Amino acid sequence: MRDVVITGIGSTAFAKHDGRTIESLAVEAANAAIVRSGLERHEIGAVYFGNFVAGPLLGQEVLAGIVADELGLGPIPCTKVEGACASGGIAFRHAVLAVQTGQCDAALVIGAEKMTHASGAAVTSALNCAMDNRADGPSGLTFPGLFGLTWRVHAAKYGTTRDEVSAVVIKNKANGLLNPLAQMGATLTAEVIRQSAPIADPLQLYDCCPVSDGAAALVIVAADRAKGSADLPIRVRAAIQTRGPARLAGNENLVSYPATLRAAQLAYETAGITPKDVHLVELHDCFSMAEVVHSEDLGLVPRGMGAKWAAEGRTRVGGTIPINASGGLLSKGHPVGATGVGQLYEVVTQLRGKHANQVKNASIGMAQNVGGAGVAVTVSILERSDA
Amino acid sequence: MTATKAMDVTVLRCTACGTLDSGPRDLCPKCFGALAPHTVDGAGTLVSWTMIRRPPAAFRAEGAYAVALVKLDAGCQITGRLSNPDDHATPGRRVIATGHKDTVTLFSVA
Repeated sequence: MRDVVITGIGSTAFAKHDGRTIESLAVEAANAAIVRSGLERHEIGAVYFGNFVAGPLLGQEVLAGIVADELGLGPIPCTKVEGACASGGIAFRHAVLAVQTGQCDAALVIGAEKMTHASGAAVTSALNCAMDNRADGPSGLTFPGLFGLTWRVHAAKYGTTRDEVSAVVIKNKANGLLNPLAQMGATLTAEVIRQSAPIADPLQLYDCCPVSDGAAALVIVAADRAKGSADLPIRVRAAIQTRGPARLAGNENLVSYPATLRAAQLAYETAGITPKDVHLVELHDCFSMAEVVHSEDLGLVPRGMGAKWAAEGRTRVGGTIPINASGGLLSKGHPVGATGVGQLYEVVTQLRGKHANQVKNASIGMAQNVGGAGVAVTVSILERSDA
Repeated sequence: MTATKAMDVTVLRCTACGTLDSGPRDLCPKCFGALAPHTVDGAGTLVSWTMIRRPPAAFRAEGAYAVALVKLDAGCQITGRLSNPDDHATPGRRVIATGHKDTVTLFSVA
């Protein structure tokens, strides 16, 4: 298969965008990515659009075609991709496949979501579409609840404490202060987090990502067609997608998500690297405890040590493995369908050496995007093309 | 007050290979044979629980409630509710089924 690179990238801020439409956010990000890629619009051969809740929250579907029309693209295949909060990562993988296999020489990936106009109950109900609602829905389970369940097991098994988990929150909120695209950077203390409202015990308010609006976009091209790019092309070394149990009762072990374990293993094999070769990761910290278990499942942190490494400063920029230098979902925000594309935007910016919270000498980066109760996971590995 | 005898719980059992699953599902997850309702003893081990304090719209009227994952002694895991959540409800504690709310099984720490 052909070598594939990311050239043009674009992103709106992840924020509360009052008065903006999802189409307008998507067009802003995608148009910026196209312009930076140096491609003519007729050279883009496919669009993959990650989105999850525009149906329930906006009553709008077929966004891929609507946005492509506004961007002036040709009569090309435009596909909306849905895999809950992994929709963006899955859209990316499809674009990579289309170019790798020669279906087209260039593809556009867009992720977009508009959520902040809706009530909290409406957002919770829309996000609960990501559950297997025959099995888990009737119990009243929520996604914060899933990570409350996970937390209790992690604490019992590894002795993980409230303050160690808070170190994840404090780090990501501080990272967000440095990222101009982040919604909710903050300087927090363990005490403030301990005093915050309980959401799904032991999970509290600051353990949860905010509700967000935003869009991000990437142009994927065959490596030999990247000459017009204004920016350093970034090689796609692996773009893996896996499936895990759809329902809570299908998980043998709540502190490890099988789809992430499998995706990570395949991604390392495909790229021909080991976890020690990864210089930074953007992973799916929808909740603080999610960062803990995902960092362990990705093999970047020893089993059981996810929160302890955060508390020791080993996951901040300058540490052993910088996790979520962007601020992550906790601080940058989580416009669900845009998140996976936004993570890749952050990794590309890091590998180009142009991030506002730069990891020094980063040449290999990873992104992990999770949908539902771990039913869909993508793990991608990117590398500087001059490395 | 401590309940001692577990209520029965209805799960699914594969008519071909005997695999148990809390369902709902249509095919046996192991051999893809047909599943039929099957009654098992509602005693098991608490895997974990959480107190849901921000319920989705459909559950808002209930206020806070505890969702639990239980490993039944019969051999399958089931998502249910925990009726007496407190500091003693740690992973690994014995629980018994004590009732139902609609289709959801209620458990208590034994």
